[in-house]
Amino acid sequence: MKDMDTHMTDETLLNIDALSLEFRTNRGQVKALRDISFPVKKGRILGIVGESGSGKSTVLWSILGLLAGNAKVTAGRVDYGDRDLLTLDAEALRALRGEEVSVVFQDPMTSQIPVLPYARQMSDILYRRAMSEADKRAAAVDMLRRVGIPDPESRVDAYPHQFSGGMRQRAGIAMSMLTGPNLLLADEPTTALDVTMEAQMIGLMRGLRDDFDTTIVVVSHNLGLIAEMCDDVVVMYAGEVVETGEVHDIFHNARHPYTRALLECDPARIADVSRKLPVIPGDIPDLTKPLAGCIFASRCQKAMPACATKAPPLVERGTGVARCHLLEGPLADASWPPPASVSTVARDDGAAAPLPANAGEPLLEVRDLNVQFRTMGALKARIRGVARPFVDAVLDVSLDIRPGETLALVGESGSGKTTLGRTILNLQAAAGGSVRFDGTEIGNMAERRFKPLRRDMAMMFQDPTGSLSPRKSVRALITEPLLIHGAEGRDLDAEAERLADMVRLPRGFLSRYPHELSGGQARRVGVARALALNPRLIVADEPTAGLDVSVQGEILNLMADLQAEHGLSYLIITHNLPVVRHIADRIAIMYLGRIVEDGPAAEVFANPAHPYTRALVEGVPQPDPDRRRPPSAAIEGEVPSLLRRPKGCDFATRCPLARDACRPAKPEHRHITPDRRHACLFPLTDTQDNKNKTETP
Amino acid sequence: MSALPSDPARSATAPEAQDGEARESAGRERREKLMRFLTDWQAVTGLVLVVLFFASALFAPWIAPYDPNAMDIPARMSGPTWAHIAGTDQLGRDTFSRILHGGRVALYIAAIGVSASLSIGLVLGMIAGYGPRWLDNLLLLAFDAVRSFPAVILALATVALTGPSLTVVLAIVILTTIPSYGRVARTATLALRHTEFILAERSLGASTPRILFQHIMPNVIGPLLILAAMEVPVVVSIEAGLSFLGIGVLPPQASWGTILNEGYLVIRDAPWMVVAGGIPLILTTLGFTFLGEALRDIFDPRMGRGR
Repeated sequence: MKDMDTHMTDETLLNIDALSLEFRTNRGQVKALRDISFPVKKGRILGIVGESGSGKSTVLWSILGLLAGNAKVTAGRVDYGDRDLLTLDAEALRALRGEEVSVVFQDPMTSQIPVLPYARQMSDILYRRAMSEADKRAAAVDMLRRVGIPDPESRVDAYPHQFSGGMRQRAGIAMSMLTGPNLLLADEPTTALDVTMEAQMIGLMRGLRDDFDTTIVVVSHNLGLIAEMCDDVVVMYAGEVVETGEVHDIFHNARHPYTRALLECDPARIADVSRKLPVIPGDIPDLTKPLAGCIFASRCQKAMPACATKAPPLVERGTGVARCHLLEGPLADASWPPPASVSTVARDDGAAAPLPANAGEPLLEVRDLNVQFRTMGALKARIRGVARPFVDAVLDVSLDIRPGETLALVGESGSGKTTLGRTILNLQAAAGGSVRFDGTEIGNMAERRFKPLRRDMAMMFQDPTGSLSPRKSVRALITEPLLIHGAEGRDLDAEAERLADMVRLPRGFLSRYPHELSGGQARRVGVARALALNPRLIVADEPTAGLDVSVQGEILNLMADLQAEHGLSYLIITHNLPVVRHIADRIAIMYLGRIVEDGPAAEVFANPAHPYTRALVEGVPQPDPDRRRPPSAAIEGEVPSLLRRPKGCDFATRCPLARDACRPAKPEHRHITPDRRHACLFPLTDTQDNKNKTETP
Repeated sequence: MSALPSDPARSATAPEAQDGEARESAGRERREKLMRFLTDWQAVTGLVLVVLFFASALFAPWIAPYDPNAMDIPARMSGPTWAHIAGTDQLGRDTFSRILHGGRVALYIAAIGVSASLSIGLVLGMIAGYGPRWLDNLLLLAFDAVRSFPAVILALATVALTGPSLTVVLAIVILTTIPSYGRVARTATLALRHTEFILAERSLGASTPRILFQHIMPNVIGPLLILAAMEVPVVVSIEAGLSFLGIGVLPPQASWGTILNEGYLVIRDAPWMVVAGGIPLILTTLGFTFLGEALRDIFDPRMGRGR
């Protein structure tokens, strides 16, 4: 282990200097990168943060010379030692990649060879080394052990599909570290992983940096990851570097209005719980057009007329640079940047949803709902003597949603939350239990009888674009619910315009097709479709998935406004806890198909009863470098497969507090207060509960 | 392996956020496709031949110098002359006129046969792909059963029962080509079946016919149309083959098959009849094959190889 001083070195390993790059597309030349300059210091972790379209990944690929065929570097250099990587020939680049520079990809499923075992893939990486096969295998085993793969001697012979998502990403990191590279490039290394896995990966990569003295460049849109992992940060916007600096400087003393806005938009950084989230209005500029002045001017709250025409100065500051008129020159503003408590982005606080009283009959009542998936055919099960050829995707779930209420269903992938949502909407057959909507039993109802109910219950799907029929115009898409449920006598064009206005989608978009929409616009179309029939309940599956931080606020604000206006109830299915805190009245935590805890959102966050809830709440990387957790804070292991559901408490295999009593049988749900339940034999709240009792008798 | 080149598409998607002029780009893409089509000599040859086929068949009564059934006994078995550019047959009928009119039969069979089998195959394929498992298995069995049966034997058996007629030819053509469309449509439907947008339609309460015809069909029909272009020559040659065997078009009606048949009888004395009857068959086959392949390459470059 090297001591911390090595990370403070000023030696530059890689220097990107005035890099400009264009993509040749149907729409003309896209000026994807313009005058990118920043150093990567040896032994440190540099984070490149930006929203989609900022060019952050393009920078990464240009370092490696792995750009798409339509890309052309128009200016600049990438100096690695005494070589300019942009001028190296293919052979020299190949020698560099893998040996000195290597990559961790976003999706380990698609970046590993499915037909070769890890032993083979990893010894292939060492093809330049004069080592025996046995030594190569030993090196692979060592590295797998180092990244935390249990039992590496036998696991090294596994194929990628035999690993779970988290293990696959660990193996991906092991492969990239195998040659002992000087520089490790990581492209959104945790985006495909769950929260608890993300915390583990951050700890792992920081540990590897310390052990192997590797310099790491990580690209991410996730401010929490950047704050927790990086030493230096580069903020990119629309193909330009707007600000650089050490991580503390960026997060506590941001100078550029965009950095500042980005930080203020992150729900995890907003301390007060509010229904309305701040947003950066507007869209990223069109990079095929001639650009002048400050690239962020069109969306900047502090923009002055000169910003649109005059290029901002590059201002040196403590640990980096920022590019803004406010900091230096004739337009400098001494009062900028304001203290952290002052909000610099648009935040409409108006009409913060006076919620209807939560009393009254529940709109949706789910009792002991079970959903099973078949694992094999009936005949095969008979032959193999399997008594129960099913897995329980949803197990004994009970929940209520009252009118005008938002219930968030939170869980990691594989928790059965999406299955539960689909079962409630009768898109998936239930194996037992009851679903009552407005007092009527609707579970497993025949589609013909269920159809009228679909007016009252709508669903928003996870993939904003993929959930829209690709060959239909937006107009056809948002009027379709009306057509399905009988639109006699309605003026469909007028309805389409009314719905577009309602979700704040410009009317000109009505004649577009889904592939011509951005994620946020497609999401609006999804909201409009869900709202077309004035439903009473909307089941929203990951409503912010695939949206940038600055856009997700717009969608959530829209949903909150519509809730206030129409008295909607929401069932929001998500893994995104920081967002949940702001939008949910109550939350239910799911693990392996079972609800382990539910209750009022504020209480559950402040005072989790189930160890899993605590792990989730604490597992979210905080976008604040001063609140980094020790690597030990992450819970161990991964969500087990449904096929290997533990007999007792489902969480017992990973629970740091598990005792023998947890293992023989599933804990019953117990109430703490009438609307707060958990399924843990030794809840964390016991001690606090007793305290509460003595304080308020 | 982490040092190997990544999926290049990822870097290509970097500037995806700015889709402000997406409309315009769609238009440009279409223009680009058209340009690619027009610069491909196979595509242009195919198009010219296909247009020639349609025009000659449609306007045959006006182009043809003679009535195809008018007999001119003194001029029988004439070789190619200025009066009869493709010669005459043993009854003195003008072969060129008969070829033009025979093209009408070919077009009739091709148009009706291909469109009918395309529609039926599309519907059955979508039902197989979207419906319950047992129905899928049943339809697949039916497709395989039809496919395994030689068209000519099936035709001979049918004609033995009903007697030769154009309707029988048409029915045989439709029946035997349904499975190719059905299988393509089924595979494409299966891939769409579990996509989110289909689930979204179900969650809105859309009926199965609505899902099939409004949402699945537009996404499935593209490859079928290309397949149809390539099936036309198959259909035309089935008709010609059956007519050649005398179980298709009845005399005296002209068809490319009957011209070949009659020419075959007198091949020693008048070889030009077989030649003249064969040329349009070859040209049509070439034309549609070129056109179909060019369309396929343009709309789905991935399918370009290995077929």
